[in-house]
Amino acid sequence: MSYKKFREPDCVIARNITFEQGQYKLLKNINLSIPKGMITLFVGHNGSGKSLLMQILHGIIKPTDGHIDSISAKEQRFVFQNPIVLNRTASKNFDLVAPFCARNEKLKWFQKSGLTGRMNTHAPLLSGGEKQKLAFISVFASNPNLIFLDEPCANIDYEATQFIEEEILKARECGKTIVMSTHNKSQAERLGDYIILLERGKIIENSEKLDFFKNPKTESAKKYLKLA
Amino acid sequence: MDNFGEPFSLALQLLWGFDQELYRIIFLSVKVSCSAVFLALLLGIPAGALLATKRFFGRQFVLLISKTALSMPPVVIGLIVYILISHSGPLGFLDILYTPNAMILAQFFLVLPISIALSNQIFEDLNNKFKLFFRSLGLTFWQQTTAFLAEAKYHLLTIMIFCFGRAISEIGAVILVGGNIRHLTRVMTTSIALETSKGNIAIALALGVVLIIIALIINSISHLVSHKLVRENKHVL
Repeated sequence: MSYKKFREPDCVIARNITFEQGQYKLLKNINLSIPKGMITLFVGHNGSGKSLLMQILHGIIKPTDGHIDSISAKEQRFVFQNPIVLNRTASKNFDLVAPFCARNEKLKWFQKSGLTGRMNTHAPLLSGGEKQKLAFISVFASNPNLIFLDEPCANIDYEATQFIEEEILKARECGKTIVMSTHNKSQAERLGDYIILLERGKIIENSEKLDFFKNPKTESAKKYLKLA
Repeated sequence: MDNFGEPFSLALQLLWGFDQELYRIIFLSVKVSCSAVFLALLLGIPAGALLATKRFFGRQFVLLISKTALSMPPVVIGLIVYILISHSGPLGFLDILYTPNAMILAQFFLVLPISIALSNQIFEDLNNKFKLFFRSLGLTFWQQTTAFLAEAKYHLLTIMIFCFGRAISEIGAVILVGGNIRHLTRVMTTSIALETSKGNIAIALALGVVLIIIALIINSISHLVSHKLVRENKHVL
């Protein structure tokens, strides 16, 4: 996979991406571009290939076929659906992801997320939501240009969801590109600039938010919006 | 042996009386086993990690060999080492037959497959758990290695104890290549075998008790160390 700078406004371009596992085709001939400085949301049912596609776009999984053009790997970060923490304190986990974050900046992030009292806690002992918040603030503190968020609000309460959404919108204001997956329709309406609907490894609809919610082009999109 | 308590009191007498021969045997046993385990871990852990994280031609074959060697009788390993280092063998020029070095080599081959197979399993699990995360962070090979070692430290400590237990309790291979020569290659297990064959059951049992005490001390130290590490890491504000 090659990384190269190319014309704005696209941050990532995927061409003919296919991913096979054994006899199963999990992604089928995906073509898309992620616009720079925008929030692109992947929606779709479980098993539609959202997480896999995001990991391929991030470059940590190689597609069976196809090509990705993206900004440098150093400028990207990924928040996993099931947050991964190492066997060390929350503070040291933060340092691993955001090694250049200044001490006062770091304290601010812990404070904002309500994790100040858990800084020196052994990270595997944190609750699911706390781990998710830790993964989120570490990634945002590392100041990447492209951020992948795989269902970042899956394990967390209303207050934390609000905090995460605010930070996502702030990041967009600063010109960061966000690629995110969600099952939450109202969250998609609140945050998304572009919505991509996936079904069984195929892109069914790829449009601006208003078009997607007001005038869905396909039957699948209409059905999804009814069910979601 | 008149009563069951005799070997225990004899063991304590030998230990308390600082019996020179006994301490020489203990020292040699520990030295040989520690050296063998150190060398086996030095090679086995990186090999196990490499087999877990990299895909290359012959990987499955190496794994199969190391897993087969796990169940190989020690005496067969001793025999192979004996053939290798005997004067007409390919390593005969080393001239180490019937020396402690030969015993270290035999124990090394005995515990190497254990260290490879167990560390491979540990690193395989860690790799599955952290592979995508580390790739995402763009960590260098050395950063990944350090992170993996930090994650695996408790497991590696367990492997070390397991290997040491296997090495120090071994007799078949060390008697073949060491020869059980007094003041030179006599270790705890070969002494026990010798004393038993001479009918000195009490002394043999006393030596057995000493062997158990050594194992207990080593396990206690490692238990304390791991307990301390766990407590440090689980510190909650």
